[in-house]
Amino acid sequence: MPPELNFGWTTPIGEVVLGATNADGGTRRVSYRIGGGTTLPFLEGQPSTPAPLIAFEICDNPSFWSPIVKEYCGDVTSNVNEWAKKADADYGADLVRLHLTSTKQRNFSDVASLGPVVEGVLLATSLPVIIEGSNEPKIDSEVYQKCGEAGQGERLLLGTAEAGKYRSIAAAALAYNHSIIAQSPIDINLAKQLNILLKEIGVQRDHIVIDPYTGALGYGFEYSYSAMERIRFSALKGDSDLAMPMICSAADTLTIKEVREAGAGLQDETAIQWELFTCLAAATAGAEILCVRHPGTIAPLRKALAGMKQPAHSAGVP
Amino acid sequence: MALKALDIYKLLPKKNCKECGDPTCLTFAMKLAGGKADLDLCPYLSDEAKSVLGATTRPPIRLVKIGVGTRNFKVGEETVLYRHEKTFYHPPGIVFRVTDTMQADEIVAVTRRVRDETLTRVGADLRFNGIAIENVSGSAETFARAVETVEKVEAHLPPVLISKDTAALKAALVYCGTYRPLLHAATQENVKEMCALAKQHGCPLVVRSGSLDGLVNLVKTCTADGVPDLVLDLAPGTFGDFIRRSTAVRQLAITRAVPDLGYPVYLNAAETGQQDAAVALGIVKYGSVIVTDPLPVGSAKAALTLRQNIYTDPQKPIQMNPGIYRVGSPDKDSPVLMTVNFSLTFFTLQGYLESARVPCFMLIVDTEGLSVLTAVAAGKLSEMLVRDSIKKFGLENEVSHRKLIIPGYASPLSGRIEDATGWKVLVGPRDAAEIGEYLHEEWKK
Repeated sequence: MPPELNFGWTTPIGEVVLGATNADGGTRRVSYRIGGGTTLPFLEGQPSTPAPLIAFEICDNPSFWSPIVKEYCGDVTSNVNEWAKKADADYGADLVRLHLTSTKQRNFSDVASLGPVVEGVLLATSLPVIIEGSNEPKIDSEVYQKCGEAGQGERLLLGTAEAGKYRSIAAAALAYNHSIIAQSPIDINLAKQLNILLKEIGVQRDHIVIDPYTGALGYGFEYSYSAMERIRFSALKGDSDLAMPMICSAADTLTIKEVREAGAGLQDETAIQWELFTCLAAATAGAEILCVRHPGTIAPLRKALAGMKQPAHSAGVP
Repeated sequence: MALKALDIYKLLPKKNCKECGDPTCLTFAMKLAGGKADLDLCPYLSDEAKSVLGATTRPPIRLVKIGVGTRNFKVGEETVLYRHEKTFYHPPGIVFRVTDTMQADEIVAVTRRVRDETLTRVGADLRFNGIAIENVSGSAETFARAVETVEKVEAHLPPVLISKDTAALKAALVYCGTYRPLLHAATQENVKEMCALAKQHGCPLVVRSGSLDGLVNLVKTCTADGVPDLVLDLAPGTFGDFIRRSTAVRQLAITRAVPDLGYPVYLNAAETGQQDAAVALGIVKYGSVIVTDPLPVGSAKAALTLRQNIYTDPQKPIQMNPGIYRVGSPDKDSPVLMTVNFSLTFFTLQGYLESARVPCFMLIVDTEGLSVLTAVAAGKLSEMLVRDSIKKFGLENEVSHRKLIIPGYASPLSGRIEDATGWKVLVGPRDAAEIGEYLHEEWKK
């Protein structure tokens, strides 16, 4: 018998809870505990951790969204509540990730409107929800305050904190007990640095999900893949400032040349395969939340992930 | 236990005859120590040296060559578990499968597709690698005819012959026996006959077992029978099973804990029930020969791109030659966009510029392959570099205006570039995706 695999890991990945059910003071029908892995992804003899979660991304202003998705999903994209409902009931996502793209409009100032948007989505779906706030430093503080407040008790995941902008999002997370996404530009040291900054202002480890930033397949994905592997490796070797679950969102996938110019009748298939290949590779590197924008990606991705969680099952060839 | 270069050197003949291809016995010893050379290259080794060095100096995973001619591919000779530890060297061969129950014209079409299809990305031509012919008819004669059909196309693609029946393989080898086809597969039942065939034709051979012990036993039998070029089929029952055992094989091989597992891994994606996902997992998790039914265009491109990404050397960013590049047919009034020579930056920007349909010039400056952000941080991108590049590439003769658009992340340098060059600097967006909108709105003003 060949020797057992032993990598000498010392520390499991930390856990983060997403969503709060009735029992925990929220209204979600399910909550997830992600993380907890004790070795490289999919190598556990008896899997004790769940398969990675699939988040479907929607937005409140589709003029900033991929035409491929708008075409495929149809009119529902112009009604964010209906879209959230569909992501949950029809597309079969585990999580809904709402991007507040309305804040991208020039001179956007109607922050008061965002609270009802978040509340609407939380009513439309009872899945745990990720909220992506603004990209505009001037209104950040107000935006995150509104999101945090609107989702009070629901244990949201708020995005996205970066080295230059993490205070307002951290404040909202701390005030309303939400978790946050901490994004760094494809660099393990910067990821660690940001986590330390967050720790210093009081955000606990079990409220942080690392986003090492995912370049689209063919456009820097290899750097993201290795950053994820290195983060997972360091965490298992005992670096507690990196021992958090990771999220992968290859947001540029639908705008790259290969997908954009795939030609009539092939765009959807190409978009789905590009998302599928990216998500599967990211899952093997350690990502525990996989974000997709094309509804057609969800079913094949879920099927493959289920297969990856089934280890002790050889084909029976002697 | 690996030997140090000096220990190995003591056992070498010390003739410095250069017949191994190295200038001295010492440099050869250093290569052996790093698993970068094969002991057989030295013709003057004593038997004692051979027995001591044999197991410890060969590369931990054997290099196996499949096919002959310009399209042959080599797999194996990997040294790490993670690409960031060094790099992955030999990208998996992705092989399209036909069966001997398909019509001849279908078989010909698939063969031609593998021969002709090329995806050009980041300056490299990406292709599929070979044709696998599977004997599902149960007839040796039908199988041989299918192989003959493939060979008649004269595509000279590396063949993989799949059959449980050695008589069928024997019949097929009449048509491709001299082309180093990969034979699939030796199992407990047929290993002796398969070895005889592989040895007769000098072919690499796949050994197939659902357990690591089983593989080790088959490997021992084959090597003892004089068949050294082996590939391991793990016969995975699930994706999880594949990831687990493929990782185990890689780990046990590179640490030399189980030298008999030091061979490349084979994966038949077509028999997993979810082929596209299997191809993706084969690429990232140590697959070296991946057999698949012909992939539809979407997954074909995604597979070639993922393979290119994973097998790019992480220590050497792919670089563009610095200079002036044109998008469309720019004239004297067209905009000029400056950026770095990191190929990914170049091709991303170029893609968005093409779709913006604004003819323009790209001024590519030499940051030694660093991206904009890192080049600014490391001081590689400076006003002097921009000034010298404008002069060196004769940008002043290309346009009549003196306006330069720089990347958003280079904005801290804007004032200094203006002072050094005398050109008016316009700061573009940080994200290349926004360049089209930027040119339409800002440049037209």
